[in-house]
Amino acid sequence: MMVLRSLVSVVDDDESVRESLPDLLRELGFAVQAFSSAEEFLASDSLDRTRCLILDVAMPGMSGPELQRELARLRHDIPIVFITAHRDETTRPRVLAEGAVECLFKPFSETALLGAVNAALRVN
Amino acid sequence: MTAPRGTLNGGWTGFQGGQATTDLISILDTVDVPIVVVRRDSMIDCFNQAAADVLGLSPAAIGRGARDIPVLAAFPRMEQRCSQVITSGVESRVDVRDGSKRFVVRISPYTTGDRQVSGTVLTFTDVTAFRASIDQAIYERECTKAILNTVAEPLVVLSADQRIQSGNRAFYTMFEVSRDEAHGVPLSELGNGAFALAPLRQQLGDMLAGSQAFQPVEVDLDLTTAGQRTLLLDARPLSFPGHAERRVLVTFQDITAHKQAAAAKDLRSEEELRRSEAFLAEGQRLSVTGSFSWKAATDEITWSEQLYRIFEVDPNVPVTLGLFGERVHPEDLPLFDDRIDRARSSGEEIEYEYRLQMPDRSIKYLHMVARGFLDQAGELEYIGAVQDVTQRRLWEEALGQARSDLAHVARVTSLGVLTASIAHEVNQPLSGIITNASTCLRMLAANPPNINGALETARRTIRDANRASDVITRLRALFSKKSTKSESVDLNTVTREVIALSVHRLRRARVILRPEFADDLPPVPGDRIQLQQVILNLLLNALDAMSEVNDRPRQLVIRTERDEGKWARVTVQDTGVGIEPQGVARLFETFYTTKSGGMGIGLSVSRSIIESHHGRLWAEPNDGHGSTFAFTIPLTPSGSPAKADVEHAVGTS
Repeated sequence: MMVLRSLVSVVDDDESVRESLPDLLRELGFAVQAFSSAEEFLASDSLDRTRCLILDVAMPGMSGPELQRELARLRHDIPIVFITAHRDETTRPRVLAEGAVECLFKPFSETALLGAVNAALRVN
Repeated sequence: MTAPRGTLNGGWTGFQGGQATTDLISILDTVDVPIVVVRRDSMIDCFNQAAADVLGLSPAAIGRGARDIPVLAAFPRMEQRCSQVITSGVESRVDVRDGSKRFVVRISPYTTGDRQVSGTVLTFTDVTAFRASIDQAIYERECTKAILNTVAEPLVVLSADQRIQSGNRAFYTMFEVSRDEAHGVPLSELGNGAFALAPLRQQLGDMLAGSQAFQPVEVDLDLTTAGQRTLLLDARPLSFPGHAERRVLVTFQDITAHKQAAAAKDLRSEEELRRSEAFLAEGQRLSVTGSFSWKAATDEITWSEQLYRIFEVDPNVPVTLGLFGERVHPEDLPLFDDRIDRARSSGEEIEYEYRLQMPDRSIKYLHMVARGFLDQAGELEYIGAVQDVTQRRLWEEALGQARSDLAHVARVTSLGVLTASIAHEVNQPLSGIITNASTCLRMLAANPPNINGALETARRTIRDANRASDVITRLRALFSKKSTKSESVDLNTVTREVIALSVHRLRRARVILRPEFADDLPPVPGDRIQLQQVILNLLLNALDAMSEVNDRPRQLVIRTERDEGKWARVTVQDTGVGIEPQGVARLFETFYTTKSGGMGIGLSVSRSIIESHHGRLWAEPNDGHGSTFAFTIPLTPSGSPAKADVEHAVGTS
């Protein structure tokens, strides 16, 4: 399977997410890098290797949608799966319209996560 | 120097007999043992060919003194010995060395035809090679003895009746007996009878009867000097050409230390196994996860202890698919059967949730993950983990209930901002619970299970569940009608409780706390839990603000005081990163919270609470580093708290 060990990057300012989500993704067979902010991710060398970006919507500093626009401006075609704890019905259509693969509301199931990540990897 | 045969008197040099037959002479000449006849007056009378060849006698020696024979020159008192033989008529033997050669000289009386002893006959037997081989044998024996005595392992040779013949030094030392004391003692009497063992006697008997095989025998015994020892006895047969009697060599290997080390190692690995089993059991108990194995071909199923607990089945009951069927919720049974059939035929991973209906009609929610693999016999076997996610479901339901209650409140009171903020607070830990529990399940279902990883994720699950549970508690406190009823609250006590709850955080954050409590602070009317939440929120915000501060003390002042007579005031002052004066207003907007570990409920909610108490909450930058948050609450109640709650909460955003 060519999707195995693809690099999935997680950007979330919540430490418990950065702690738990990478573990689960690794169990599911992916390579994972976690970043606490959009800025940290932009400055990293994972930018070019990331096959799927799991991105929190609301963060201090640059927000998730802001990072999405910045990546588009820099012509980085990284498929994005948004995650958010705010069940705000306007966020989802907005980020999907701007090209996100999926927008998951926390809490999400393992199946939903895997489905979204696999969908993102198929975009590649 | 060799005289040609037959040139002198027909070959027998000096022989004067005249009547001797030519045959006899030729026989004596063919004997390769030198023979010399010496007369009574010690003069050489005659000698044979071998004497000429070996001893170097020439015809000129006839009639001369025997002492002139070179080989006899070193023969002390030869004349006297010859005289004794002549006198007594009894022959005598003497060892003589001639250079590198050694001879045994036999001196016999020489009797002439008239039976008169007229001299002696000396025969020279060359024993040089014989002596050398004896010397060599003696030397070899001494070497062997030295080796045997140097060997640390006791060795003993037993006779055919299993009695001690001889041992090496280590043998006599070990059993503290002398060579003489031990000789002839039966092996069975050695070491206070420790060796009187039927299998040992039997095997030694067989070996003495010709068997080659010997199964080493372990013997425990108490030695005076060495204490309690364990010896390993081995034996091999000894037989010598020309000796009819068989003997055995018995070796005694002291394996006490080896046995102790092996026992210690057994103990250690047993201990490690016990530890790892205990870890697994603890991990399963903590994460409410059981594991199982299922052989698809035979339907042989084994359950871990925890799985018996989850299914509430007696651990002595053998597990069958039928037992599963009894417990699985009737509505989920078709799906369960379908999954089993598919797994049996495909060997693919199983992952799904199903319900159990317990005998008391209660429902359990289970999440199962299992992986198939081929065992050593090539048969399909599944190993999997089953987690009881009932509690999680109940939390989800409780949270869902709280959310809909909240939605109701929000509709009624337009507290939309609050709803969003609280939904965020509950969704965050819930997300952690589900992610960690999924990871935990996968780690336990792995082969071998990743126990340390599973323990860690189970701990995180519990931590997140506690966070969620805290949120629910706070929601209830915040919104139950009962809690809006005013009671008399001592802000000093409430603040002390918050500090006590936060001691670990303060210590971990290396924050210096300076409490300044007013002694004369009257109680205020209000809700104790809500006010605690506000103070806790301010305290945690202050810790967050100081978390990056390393160039100055991280100092936190918490002050209570009476303000302008009618108000009680609580101030929380930090030396953190501070706030921009123009940013102060935004601080209290929903979503502006910096998500400090998730325990706080946001400044907007805090302000709602304080305003529902008819008070005021504000923030200001310090003159130096950091910022100050403070609230005031009136000392006397005014108006209906429940009504005020709504009004003030609406007024915040």
